Amino acid sequence: MPETMLCGVTLKNPVIAASGTFGFGAEYGRLFDVSKLGAICTKGLTLHPREGNPGMRVWETPAGMMNSIGLQNPGIPAFLEHELPRMRTMGTAIIANVGGGDLEEYVEGVRLLSEAESIDIIELNISCPNVHEGGMAFGIKANVAAGVVAAVRRVCRKPLMVKLSPNAENIADMAVACERAGADAVSLVNAFNALAIDIHARKPVFDNVTAGLSGPAIKPIALRMVWEAAHAVRIPVVGIGGITTWQDAVEFLMAGATAVQVGTATFVKPTAMLDIVDGLERYCAAEPLTRL
Amino acid sequence: MTSPSPAYIEEALVLAQDRLTNDVYRLTVEATTGGSPGQFYMVRAWDREPLLARPISIHDADEGTISLLYQVRGRGTELLARLHKGDTVALMGPLGNGFTMENLHGRVGIVTGGIGIAPMFYLASTLPARSATVIAGFKSTPYAVAALLSLGVEVYVATEDGCEGTRGFCTDIFDPAAFDVVVTCGPTPMMARVAQLCAQAGVPCQASLEAHMACGIGACLGCTFPTTSGYKRVCADGPVFDAAEVIWHA
Repeated sequence: MPETMLCGVTLKNPVIAASGTFGFGAEYGRLFDVSKLGAICTKGLTLHPREGNPGMRVWETPAGMMNSIGLQNPGIPAFLEHELPRMRTMGTAIIANVGGGDLEEYVEGVRLLSEAESIDIIELNISCPNVHEGGMAFGIKANVAAGVVAAVRRVCRKPLMVKLSPNAENIADMAVACERAGADAVSLVNAFNALAIDIHARKPVFDNVTAGLSGPAIKPIALRMVWEAAHAVRIPVVGIGGITTWQDAVEFLMAGATAVQVGTATFVKPTAMLDIVDGLERYCAAEPLTRL
Repeated sequence: MTSPSPAYIEEALVLAQDRLTNDVYRLTVEATTGGSPGQFYMVRAWDREPLLARPISIHDADEGTISLLYQVRGRGTELLARLHKGDTVALMGPLGNGFTMENLHGRVGIVTGGIGIAPMFYLASTLPARSATVIAGFKSTPYAVAALLSLGVEVYVATEDGCEGTRGFCTDIFDPAAFDVVVTCGPTPMMARVAQLCAQAGVPCQASLEAHMACGIGACLGCTFPTTSGYKRVCADGPVFDAAEVIWHA
């Protein structure tokens, strides 16, 4: 498998565990060798601990699933103390995903994570659809996103990747705005804002009403967005959205992605990412390609 | 409690599929991964749809086989019910904490509602002979009772339609004072009532919760339940909780 260079960081391969689907690596580490992955994105971190959302949190849909976790996490200081030391022994690159309720929380969170030696890349989450006061609010308007990215850039001493929302007004404009504000890469897309209604209870399934849709159902739309973003910016684009097979991954790479993130597919088959890595290797050997 | 690491078995051979009632089945598969009473497996027997595997508790296990008792509720369990001997299923497990066996001593009361009886055969067969009493509630025709009786376990049945046993709920015929410790599994309102009765009687109670799950292994935080110490993951921190810690009416 050709190595992949992402923002100056060498990854073993271009297959990355997506934030929120892989915890801090330990759970799936009990099941397979996570050092075979290109990188792991942490569960979304915020400066202060968050309890997460009440009520139903996951809901299956045709070819997809909805989630409303609400950024449940132990807070960045606890992550640095308890989770990061264990993560650094896992033998793969670490991408710290960081969210926030307001600008100050983003800046202080990124500043703290920047000081941690074993973090390779910071992924700025301006796209979480499941927290009220912030998250996705920063990911819809390009000028608002640019403000957050610029503020965070000033304190960030790591490569900075911005995770974009598919709910952005215009995905290409959003990618360009983040690039101009100092992003070293963009990753897209996060979950689509979506709705499910319990017809027997006659109310929305989720306490938050809407929730994020992921999985194969969103793949063709995500692929189109990655294509648009990749044509608009010069910085690397990391493709995310329903990638389940190695063929899906090749499509995203051909659309202009430097690497891919895999999330929901891991729930379908825990070793899906290893299958994708193997498939990409075989594809490169057969075509033949020396790099993707 | 540290349990052995779970395994992922892409193709476990189906050894038997037994239909117990109209919509309750017992699937027996070849697997050496075992588990302890109260643990579960993520089970999948289809290609693309539905998307997610289904969490199903261990009904019985030995060195070479695992059996799963399940009720057909939706598309996933409907597809499981179509499996025949010789087919294969994907399994991930054993998962979750299981019952805290070291706290189950003296007279153990096992209170179940519907398919909540599923993990209790394995539990009762692991407990000392004649220490367990099962109080099982069903909507209608009971199931999985004969196997418990064959272990020498006392079983009291309540049915909502009165077709067998006492007409009503299992909680109508359950007296916590008769037990040193109680174990329960079933619909949440039923377990909440069992927990309340146990708390009033000062009898410790372990409750095995059910939830929609995505990962099944503790990574996605999708199956949390509120407890007195915050949200806990049903799949990884549970499925068995001290009933006094669970916030039943959140």
